[in-house]
Amino acid sequence: MALPKRIMKETERLVADPAPGITAAPHGDNLRYFDVTIQGPDGSPFQQGVFRLELFLPEEYPMSPPKVRFLTKIYHPNIDKLGRICLDILKDKWSPALQIRTVLLSIQALLSAPNPDDPLATDVAKHYKEDEKDAQRVSREWTEKYASN
Amino acid sequence: MTQDQLRDRGLFFAASDDEDDNANATIAQSVRPASPPSSSPYSSHQKRLFFADSDDDDIPRFQTPRPTVIDASLVRNDDDDSGSDLEIPSFEEVPRASSVSSISSGPSLRTSSPVPGPSGEEPPVKKRRLSPPKVQAHTEQLEAPFRTAYLGSFIVGNAWSTVRGKGYIKPGDVIRIERDDPDDSRSGLSVPAKGKKKALPGKGKTKQLTLGAMLKSQPPKTTKKSDTVVRLTNDRGFEFGRLPQHVSSWVSKLLDLGIIDFKGSTVVDCPATLHSGADLIVSLSVYVRASAFKPASTSAQEPPKNMFNQEQETQDEQTLRERKTTLLSLFEAVNLRPRRESRVQGDGNTEKKSDDMVKQLTQHPGGTKQKKTEIVGDGEEVEVEEGEELSDNELDVIYKKAQQNDLSMAEMDPPDTFTLTLRAYQKQALMWMHSKESGEISAREAVSMHPLWSEYVFPPEPQDGIIDLTEDEKAFYFNPYSGELSLDFPKAERKLKGGILADGKVQLFPDVILLIINILRSVGMGKTIMLSALIHTNRDPEPILPDDTSRDLARARQLKLDNAFRSIALGQTKKPTKGPSATLIVAPTSLLSQWYDELQRSSAPGTLQATIWHGQNRLDLDGIEDDLKNDAPITVIITSYGVLASEHSKLLKSGGQSSIFQVEWLRVILDEAHHCKSRTSKTARAVYALRARRRWAVTGTPIVNKLEDLHSLLQFLEYTPWSSYSFFRSFITLPFLARDPKAIEIVQVILESILLRREKNMRDHSGKRIVELPAKEVTVDTLQFTSAEQKIYDSIYNAAKRNFDQLNAKGLVGKNYTHILAMLMKLRRAVLHPDLVADANDKSETKPSGHSKDGAIDVDVLMNDISEHDLSSGSKVAYAESVLANLDTSDDAECPICLDVMQVPSIIPTCMHQCCKECIVSYLAICTERGEELRCPTCSQGPVKEQDLIEVLRPRPGQDSAHQESIGDEKEETSTSEVFLRRNDFRSSTKLDALVQNLRRLRDQDPYFRAVVFSQFTSFLSLISVALDRERLSWYRFDGSMDVKKRSAAISEFKQNERKPKVLIVSLKAGGVGLNLTSANHVFMMDCWWNAATENQAIDRVHRIGQEKTVYVKHFVIDRTIEGRILQIQKRKTAIVKEAFRGSDKSGKADSESLENLKVIFGDD
Repeated sequence: MALPKRIMKETERLVADPAPGITAAPHGDNLRYFDVTIQGPDGSPFQQGVFRLELFLPEEYPMSPPKVRFLTKIYHPNIDKLGRICLDILKDKWSPALQIRTVLLSIQALLSAPNPDDPLATDVAKHYKEDEKDAQRVSREWTEKYASN
Repeated sequence: MTQDQLRDRGLFFAASDDEDDNANATIAQSVRPASPPSSSPYSSHQKRLFFADSDDDDIPRFQTPRPTVIDASLVRNDDDDSGSDLEIPSFEEVPRASSVSSISSGPSLRTSSPVPGPSGEEPPVKKRRLSPPKVQAHTEQLEAPFRTAYLGSFIVGNAWSTVRGKGYIKPGDVIRIERDDPDDSRSGLSVPAKGKKKALPGKGKTKQLTLGAMLKSQPPKTTKKSDTVVRLTNDRGFEFGRLPQHVSSWVSKLLDLGIIDFKGSTVVDCPATLHSGADLIVSLSVYVRASAFKPASTSAQEPPKNMFNQEQETQDEQTLRERKTTLLSLFEAVNLRPRRESRVQGDGNTEKKSDDMVKQLTQHPGGTKQKKTEIVGDGEEVEVEEGEELSDNELDVIYKKAQQNDLSMAEMDPPDTFTLTLRAYQKQALMWMHSKESGEISAREAVSMHPLWSEYVFPPEPQDGIIDLTEDEKAFYFNPYSGELSLDFPKAERKLKGGILADGKVQLFPDVILLIINILRSVGMGKTIMLSALIHTNRDPEPILPDDTSRDLARARQLKLDNAFRSIALGQTKKPTKGPSATLIVAPTSLLSQWYDELQRSSAPGTLQATIWHGQNRLDLDGIEDDLKNDAPITVIITSYGVLASEHSKLLKSGGQSSIFQVEWLRVILDEAHHCKSRTSKTARAVYALRARRRWAVTGTPIVNKLEDLHSLLQFLEYTPWSSYSFFRSFITLPFLARDPKAIEIVQVILESILLRREKNMRDHSGKRIVELPAKEVTVDTLQFTSAEQKIYDSIYNAAKRNFDQLNAKGLVGKNYTHILAMLMKLRRAVLHPDLVADANDKSETKPSGHSKDGAIDVDVLMNDISEHDLSSGSKVAYAESVLANLDTSDDAECPICLDVMQVPSIIPTCMHQCCKECIVSYLAICTERGEELRCPTCSQGPVKEQDLIEVLRPRPGQDSAHQESIGDEKEETSTSEVFLRRNDFRSSTKLDALVQNLRRLRDQDPYFRAVVFSQFTSFLSLISVALDRERLSWYRFDGSMDVKKRSAAISEFKQNERKPKVLIVSLKAGGVGLNLTSANHVFMMDCWWNAATENQAIDRVHRIGQEKTVYVKHFVIDRTIEGRILQIQKRKTAIVKEAFRGSDKSGKADSESLENLKVIFGDD
């Protein structure tokens, strides 16, 4: 299956002009599969952390959203134990006008602004709701423990 | 030296022959006072001499043969002298046995004296002898260069004596062979040259032995009892014995028929004392008389087909048959074998090669016979037996022969009234056609032997026991079917024409001549022009035939009907004062107006009056001949096969009249004559019923796929004897089925004489191509479905495949063939456009919704809409304004979906965001499918409707404004000169988009391009026309549903010279043949046909004579669909000649070939 022009173009641009704090490199054997790192945004409990993610562009892309998952453990109300991310643009708000870059930037933004009202990891969300400070502490611990090389 | 010898001999023979020619002359030449010939031979060939005089008792004796040299010189210097010198003494000599050995040694036949032809009767013998410069048996004149010619010798071991006593003969004696006066036994036979009538009845009289055996031995077929006694007499004329019955049975006939002489025959052994019944061994040397080579009074002109009628045999036929059987016996006895039996002529190499090919041809595996339905004429369906079908290669073998002499053909210029310039090969064709019509010498020298003849070589004649090997071989020809002998090379053509020109009248009025210009795979050679030139060239009316019933008798039976009707017609109208002068052209409906146009174009004004005879209000044709003055324009009537067939059935049914069959035409031309290839079809029968002096069949494929296709043409052409079906079948079809190479040879020979076939890639004598055509570049664009199309296609394909697999597993494919074909049809349409397979109610959404046909939108109107709609947000209006303002400049904007430069930017009217049309359309389609709301991908604003999208069409950089004007219609000029917007209310398809894109690109390169678009589906043509409208391209349509007027209007408008691009959309079926579209040089093939030849023929509408530019052909093929499979089938050899899926009979059964093809379609990759 030939790689659509759009994917090649996006890949080129990601490599040539990466978004700050984000890297994305396609696998040599599958150009639809990307190794992604996202730096924890400053001012967030994830600051200093470097989180690894995987991103896969399905056959229908860009008509369907990419599949993205955290590989690094993270304590976040919208990201579950398996690394799955609860983000509307990865679901029903997806638009083909969005790109890999915008998706990753959105994820980075999600780290800055957890949304416990729309939780995926319910226990984490509960924790954030009830005692945000303590929850952020755990997040920082996890970041230190799992996301710092 | 040899020549001299020959002359010498010739001299001799000539004399003896003379005798023969005078009907009552006896064989005894001695009777003639001064017969010089007898003398010279003595010198070298006693036996001949002897024989010549053998009838008389004074047998010359001449023991010592002269050296040939002397002999020759003598003769050459003065025939007379040499003759007379030798004459007297020789008579007394009896040839000695030494030289008598009847076993041949020297060639005998070249002598110069002509046969008793017109000139052969009386002139001084010597003069005649000398006149031919060279002695040639091979000459084409009807002259035999000899009196008698040695054929061979044979020994009869059981001749028997009829006398008792000694002294009659002894071994080595020369004997004579005699017949009784033939009158009593064969009075009934008409023997053209009664040669061997016994001149000396008195002497030969002996008691006749009536042995029962003799009677038994009569040639089996002779019905009347005839006596076959052949007597042997000694040099004094006394009968001493007879030939045994098995020999005499045919010898007697040959003698009676004046075909042979015996000379120099000797007794090989006999008892010293004869007694009745004693065995004699005799050696007989056979000489064939020159008179035998004269066409028998009637035989040559009798069409051999009579042999097949089980009617009463005529005398002539009986004579011929006797000739035939007895000659065959003779040849067998003397061990004479044909050197060749109507072999393909050529040098050894090519001959061998073509033999091989012919062999291959005939080894063609036998197909099972099937019936299949074919379309002939104007959509008439006929069932044909699927016999031996021929592949292209095989056809090439057959045609090759017909073309081998074409290079050297003479040319002819058309008269002034013809205004176009002909190319060299067209002039050749004109010359050929003209000579065919006027019956003049063949423009093309036919060198093939008539297929029914065999060539024999005269054996060398023994000369004093020496065989002169330096002698040229001389040939003669024998027709084992008719018994005719000839010294002339039996040219196929001439012989056949002879058959036609049976009654001398035809010399004046060459009856039928026709030709098939045909050009398989390479139409576009200017057939129309060539025939127009012919019409101008041979325009004079033919004389009225006093009564042509005799010719009519030879015609097909339908003519009887015509005659009946004609009598009515003649009764009503005044007798015409001139013979036929009008030409009738029968052509497929789609070509009528083209014929009309071409005829007008090629004629000086006022010189030709062409009328299309078609449609409801057809004129009465009765009057067309009436007002003919000398300078009246040539009358040409153009009609279609359909009209002809319906007129004919009218004629047959009601007993009514049809003027088209009453007129006797000077010339009938069948264009695309393969329309009547099935001789039982209505079309064919109608065509046969036409009355015409000259007949031409024009077709690219005289043999469509089997040999019998040719027969129908021959029947139309009345090309006897092959026009008789039984004859054709006996000599061609059946032998071919039996793998007899002869069948192919016969066809080759027939074609050589009547067929002119050119191909575009043929070269003339100087090595140049006869037609220089510009290059043709063919590309195949393999396209990918959009996902939506793919889904539609897949679902149809999977259903069809499931269906097929089930049927195939149950072995029911054959029975459900039509059903499967319907599925295939659906698949092929799905490839083109989803709408073509959509249910009717689905289609409604793509119907244009009341806007102008190109869907244009005025920018101002659009802005008003936006501001009314969204008064609240001023920023939005501002954005919209900026978008619209930038439309013409921001032409490298990137589509947010494919990240590429937008090909056709489409504006979402609610938010004025833009995407590629393709991207947004497929996104919207996916959203619809998922049940999601349709929203702008950029801003998520919704809802968005596909048909509300606004396409932005902007000119490519580099286009000048002149071009803009030229493509614009009135509306566009007002809106904007550079960009126009249109509503996306038309659902396109991959192929349509590809076409449109190509056309756009084309327009960028060539603002005045002309393109032709072919598709098989008229419904797709309609979609194409909508797409072209939206592109503001002028298009013209040509399909089978249009009437003749509309079609010709479309073509002429398309051809009109205007400064704008034009596209002609043509249905493959209707426009695939005949049309001349050379004004275009771009061809787009939207779909694949089963058979590549059909596609090529369509392409040749453009790539043909008159084309001056390179022709670009583009095939659109969708990847991984049925189209790829169709291409595979195209490559399968067998699919080339027959249309792959037409092979079903009425019950819808498939033949094996079709099944195979189906498996290709549904097979796995």
